[in-house]
Amino acid sequence: MSQRPHLSSFLRRYGTLIGFLAIVLFFWTQRPQTFMTLPNWVNITRQMSILGVVAFTMTIVMVTGDFDLSVGAMASLVGIVAGSAFQNGGGVGQAVALALLVGVAGGALNGLLVAGVGISAFVATLGTLTVFRGLALYTSSGASIYGRVIPAEFSSFGRGAIVIGELSIPNLTLLAALALALVFVILRFTIFGRRLYAIGGNREAARFGGIRIARLRMLSFVISGLGAAAAGLMLFSRLSTAHPTQGEGLMLQAIAAVFLGMTMNEEAQPNVLGSLVGVLILGVLANGLTQMQIDTYIQQILTGVIIILAVTLSSLSQQGLRAPEWLRRLLPERGEAA
Amino acid sequence: MHLQIRQASKAYAGIPALIDAALDLHGGEALGLVGENGAGKSTLIKLLAGLEAPDSLEVRLNGARVTIPDSAAARRLGLRFIHQELAIVPALNVAENLFLNNPLPRIGGAFVNRAALYKLAREAMRRLGIDHIDLRQRASLLSPGDAMLVKIASAFIGADDQQQLIYIMDEPTAALNQAEAELLYAVIDRLRARGCALLVVTHRLHELFRIAQRVTVMRDGMVVNTHKITETSAGELIHEMTGSSAAHLPPAADKVKSEATDDRPLLRARYLQTDALSAASFHLRAGEIVGVAGLAGAGRSQLLQALMGIDKLRAGTIELDGEALRNPAPAVCWEQGIAYLPEERRSQGLLLGGRISHNMTLPHLGRFRRWLAMIDRRAEDRRSQQLSRSVQLRATGIQQRLRELSGGNQQKVMFARAVLAKPRLVLLDEPTRGVDVGAKRDIYRLIRELAAGGAGILLVSSELDELLALCGRILIMRNRRLVGEASTAELDERALLSLMFAGLPHLPTPSSKHQGRGAQSNKINSDARFLTA
Repeated sequence: MSQRPHLSSFLRRYGTLIGFLAIVLFFWTQRPQTFMTLPNWVNITRQMSILGVVAFTMTIVMVTGDFDLSVGAMASLVGIVAGSAFQNGGGVGQAVALALLVGVAGGALNGLLVAGVGISAFVATLGTLTVFRGLALYTSSGASIYGRVIPAEFSSFGRGAIVIGELSIPNLTLLAALALALVFVILRFTIFGRRLYAIGGNREAARFGGIRIARLRMLSFVISGLGAAAAGLMLFSRLSTAHPTQGEGLMLQAIAAVFLGMTMNEEAQPNVLGSLVGVLILGVLANGLTQMQIDTYIQQILTGVIIILAVTLSSLSQQGLRAPEWLRRLLPERGEAA
Repeated sequence: MHLQIRQASKAYAGIPALIDAALDLHGGEALGLVGENGAGKSTLIKLLAGLEAPDSLEVRLNGARVTIPDSAAARRLGLRFIHQELAIVPALNVAENLFLNNPLPRIGGAFVNRAALYKLAREAMRRLGIDHIDLRQRASLLSPGDAMLVKIASAFIGADDQQQLIYIMDEPTAALNQAEAELLYAVIDRLRARGCALLVVTHRLHELFRIAQRVTVMRDGMVVNTHKITETSAGELIHEMTGSSAAHLPPAADKVKSEATDDRPLLRARYLQTDALSAASFHLRAGEIVGVAGLAGAGRSQLLQALMGIDKLRAGTIELDGEALRNPAPAVCWEQGIAYLPEERRSQGLLLGGRISHNMTLPHLGRFRRWLAMIDRRAEDRRSQQLSRSVQLRATGIQQRLRELSGGNQQKVMFARAVLAKPRLVLLDEPTRGVDVGAKRDIYRLIRELAAGGAGILLVSSELDELLALCGRILIMRNRRLVGEASTAELDERALLSLMFAGLPHLPTPSSKHQGRGAQSNKINSDARFLTA
């Protein structure tokens, strides 16, 4: 085995985390009165909660080496489905159940196309993305659903919080934490999770080793559909409005968060704690830049640049740091590190 | 023209594949190159083609020292290659495929001159004497033989009839029928007549006597001998190819051939047919080690994959302990107590980024279930540690990642996986390939222990000494068929190799000085029970 320089493997594992701390530090110095306060951080967790749920369940799909591009469109569609249920006199329970069912069905469709028919995940979920979006626009005639048709207990949930002494934890934050815990347990402790990592690590070896690949990939898409549906409901509840395209930003951000998380893993595998850091980075950036009154368009540019930077740095260090000569000279010689 | 090759050496992961090999190619002469699987022939060719960096290599062309850092350099030196793997792009048409390894004719530097492309392609095909293949046909529609001819023709693109080049062919006739092979023989004769030099690797010995003037034998990465073709015989070549590679042999004291511990047939396969295997029937008893011998491409791995449900079964039945195995699939087979160790452990077996324990338990996770869906990690770790000891794994711990282990230790992890659940039937595909001598010995011990414990073992191996030492019976495969079986009691390496090649009847009779051995192999031939011709 060739021994990699110390610094390189350190960068590989902790580079993204260090970057995150640097971002936090930066905003702290720029906005010392408002940024590093408890209310602001509670606020950040609420802002991130919806993206979090999508990113955590997306992690499961990405562990097997697939993608789900349809999650944003699914989140939008689910809002419209629940909204329509309210319009037709449905109660909260009925609307939520119907919405989650749509998520499961959409995920099953994705899984069937990818694992059953054998279409690449990219093409299949790009197709269903378009279908889901069309369905949402058609069902709603392109208009938002809002106002008095939405039961008060539904919209108050998204703004509500559980108060424990001084601290008030938003309901949405709690939901995201629940999703995080569930995905963490699934990937880390269950047979299902172990098998998913085997599929992602070496698909052929997994098949030869007796793993029922099609079934498990299918199931992972169902989970991702369910996550997208839950996120769609959370978004609907928080905004008290269902618009047929309101979930669209979620997909790219969720995938970006998982990628950021992968940079923190020794084997560059998707992992849900990494995804959490990825979501935190995106959330803190949005929060801090807004506080600094930076144009949201500029925010997008900066976010994109940071994602590319993190993934580039990580892939450089993964190649045994084939970085520029000047950087290599700063590193200890091979072998010394051992 | 004279191409001198000296001191060609190459090791993969510390295991030598080619050791100080030397060859001479002369204009106007075809040199045959023969040897068992893994003798180093293909490695030598890869060095000459600039596809692999040699550990050492000295090449002189007409006395001048040259180097071959990449395939473009090989081309500039006038070397033309027909490699063993069929490198055809199915989506391109025949003419375009002919130019995969050749510079495309261009207009203005950026655009392909299609008129010139078809003209050159037509000329190359004409040189080979082929007129039945449509140049505009998509390559995906070609038969395997035609695809091979196209690949061969690509070595003749842009070669004007006067140019004296060096052609190096790695088993060019493996996929060809007799008529197609004759086309190639005629081309070889013509190239030779106009002063080209040729190096032809082949497993078909009779073809050497048709095309070659000299023949070089390789064994265990070394050049053993070179003969004038008129002064040797097939028998002598086979003898030199097998030699006595004592280093690989299991310790002599262990050389007790496994006999079935009881008569109950553990596995009965009837007329197994997949897309890559035809009509294979055989049986195997509990406690028996049965070998599968055959040349590369004979269908040995495909036989195991059919049993494991990896290749879809088109016809035939598999019975395990008297019970029919319906719709076999890897998951079902593992659950039924069939363990499988695939040929390509890196691509088909291991999770290289995964931990040792996770690799061992992969097919058996259901056994470590608790609380509905959780993994009982303590039980998993305990079992992995136990197995690490019993296969004598050298690792820092069961948490180590597979990528950091040597080839031999990786293979031991695969063995641990295979034995974890006390399998009834174990399918082993080249279990000692790329494994050092010490690990080999351990693996032989494990195989024997498994059989002694009552498991049936089907062992595919290219190492004949290994088959002979471990197995009681050997199934012989040729051209994706199971053509017969032989008891190892009456078999030596030379006789086994003869069975693997197209059979002795095709070979010229041994010359007078080897008559003794010839007589012996005839006897063995009659001992081998052939199921089909």
